[in-house]
Amino acid sequence: MLSIKNLTVAVNGKEILKDFNLEIKAGEVHAIMGPNGTGKSTLAATLAGKEDYEVLSGEVIFKGKNLLEMDADERAREGVFLAFQYPVEIPGVSTTNFMKAAVNAKRKHNGLEPLDAKDFLKMMNEKSQLVEIKREFLSRSINEGFSGGEKKRNEIFQMAMLEPSLCILDETDSGLDIDALRIVANGVNKLRNAERSFLVITHYQRLLNYIVPDFVHVMFGGRIVKSGGKELALKLEAEGYDWVKEEVEMI
Amino acid sequence: MEVQKEFELAETAFTKESLPLRKNALEAFEKLGIPSMRHEEWKYTNIKAKLKQQLSLTTTDSQVNAAVKNYIASLPPYAFRLTFLNGVFHPELSIVPDLKGVTVCSLKEAFAHHTTLVEKHFGKLVNYSEEHFAALNTAFVTDGAFIHVQRNVIVNEPIYIQYFFTATDANAFTQTRNLVILEEGASLQFAEDFRNASNINVQYNHVAEVYVGKNAKVDVAKLQLEVSNAIGIHTLESSVERDGRFSAATITFSSPNTGTGNALIRNNVTARLVGENAHADLNGLYFGKETAHIDNHILVDHVAPNCTSNQLYKGVLNGEATGVFNGKIFVKPDAQKTNAFQSSKALLLSNEASINSKPQLEIFADDVKCSHGAAIGQLDENALFYLMARGITKEEATQILTYAFAHEVVDHVHSQPIRQFLCDKLKDELQLNF
Repeated sequence: MLSIKNLTVAVNGKEILKDFNLEIKAGEVHAIMGPNGTGKSTLAATLAGKEDYEVLSGEVIFKGKNLLEMDADERAREGVFLAFQYPVEIPGVSTTNFMKAAVNAKRKHNGLEPLDAKDFLKMMNEKSQLVEIKREFLSRSINEGFSGGEKKRNEIFQMAMLEPSLCILDETDSGLDIDALRIVANGVNKLRNAERSFLVITHYQRLLNYIVPDFVHVMFGGRIVKSGGKELALKLEAEGYDWVKEEVEMI
Repeated sequence: MEVQKEFELAETAFTKESLPLRKNALEAFEKLGIPSMRHEEWKYTNIKAKLKQQLSLTTTDSQVNAAVKNYIASLPPYAFRLTFLNGVFHPELSIVPDLKGVTVCSLKEAFAHHTTLVEKHFGKLVNYSEEHFAALNTAFVTDGAFIHVQRNVIVNEPIYIQYFFTATDANAFTQTRNLVILEEGASLQFAEDFRNASNINVQYNHVAEVYVGKNAKVDVAKLQLEVSNAIGIHTLESSVERDGRFSAATITFSSPNTGTGNALIRNNVTARLVGENAHADLNGLYFGKETAHIDNHILVDHVAPNCTSNQLYKGVLNGEATGVFNGKIFVKPDAQKTNAFQSSKALLLSNEASINSKPQLEIFADDVKCSHGAAIGQLDENALFYLMARGITKEEATQILTYAFAHEVVDHVHSQPIRQFLCDKLKDELQLNF
């Protein structure tokens, strides 16, 4: 599904990701943990195609294609989805209209006709139930005046609508209370299947109680320094990151 | 331009009742002439260079062409409308409302049949001794619409006043005029809709005078949606009495998707709040492409106390288009407790596009609230990335964000049918199909 090899990325001339490597197979859930400023969000934004992220070296192959050659919109149509840490508010455009444009852009990319009004409505109804979103919510301007929890639910709703192959969740748990966290995690779990992969970026182990990962990686200084199973997350929660730092410094 | 000679032809073309006033206006225009950029109000708009050297002010050419027929066919068949071609009224293309307490006819007819009422109001709001194009218009008016709404009469359906240009004479400079009078407690929505339906560059100069009586309401939409190859000068003068409300939305799309964008549009919109507790909303939205030049001069004149006003103008400029925003708020000595607000925002979508934005507040009362803000910027990069990260192309994302920016002005249009009409036009203009 996704193969990242020796990826080095700079933001404003400063190297953030350094010689980063990661392999994700179809259907796998990978969690990336690590302290602040280690490059977790840079990784997410680079994969999604944000322009001001400069790739200095390395390659990213997604479903056999060179991801780095594509613009953000093309990556999305190919099946990459980034759930934003800070979803953007756009007054004046409803979530419904936004999704109509996005779903039809993807359909066009796949050589399909635009969805008619009835089918689109049906799809909206179905997917909004996944994250317990009310219909009137969708006719409101994108994220305008939404609470933190509502914004994150809206991200997962969009993910459900676009049916991506690779879902990147950038600190989706930040700013969520326990109920919102449960709703968001339930939505994600319902979307898990054998073809869809997840890259879950988080500070805290808490989210991983709900979205149980196959692999846990610890990022430090722009690269993965330790990998393991879900038990690694528990150890980090109990003991913090210091022991990882010490290990790295010893090498 | 030999105005005297032209006037000899014009003299009998419009009503004899108005002749003394027209002669006065002619005299004023002979002194004023066409303004150059040295004139403060025309500093950023070189109208003198743009207008043809030879102007023909007395055109008789009034052909219906296919573009006009197609447009009319696209309208709801029941919509009230007065249709003018090159300033000449065409009753056969019009649906004139026949409502109790409402008089709607051409200005020529109004001068003949409602002489006293018309003479009392015609030429009284515009200052033709100082304003060049108001003087020219008053002297050479060919025709226009007259609407009078009696006391407490509410007109529920909007009236569209359509001005089509089908002229084949490139020197033609069409002078049209509306006069709208609302008595106490009356209510009206109308649109002035300008369209270039010819294959040539057209020139026109339009004036409207609107009287809003006590507790009366007027919603006017000035639609300049197909004016790609036009030099258009618009003047809208209103006076609002006690508890009255005047709202005007000026919408200019310099260039529909297929147009060349070679337009020069000047709007002078004035609301004079002459009675206590009156309110004015002067809003505007303009899109300019290529070499379009769109100039909005707005004035809210707070004469009476306890009045409120809002100005919200938004522009989207692309290519080498230029915009001018001059928003004046005058607060006269008696106008205590005035609350006036002004906002001008422009999006520049190319490096060559530009705008000159100038707020002008002249306050002579001490207990007032006035605020103004001007912003010029580009599209929000984060919002653009957010839309693209969902698979929407950069082009479409730009259109969606432009829609989001522009929609606020359309949202402020009080008249529901006109608002819906504009909303659809905005989507068409941006090629959005949601």
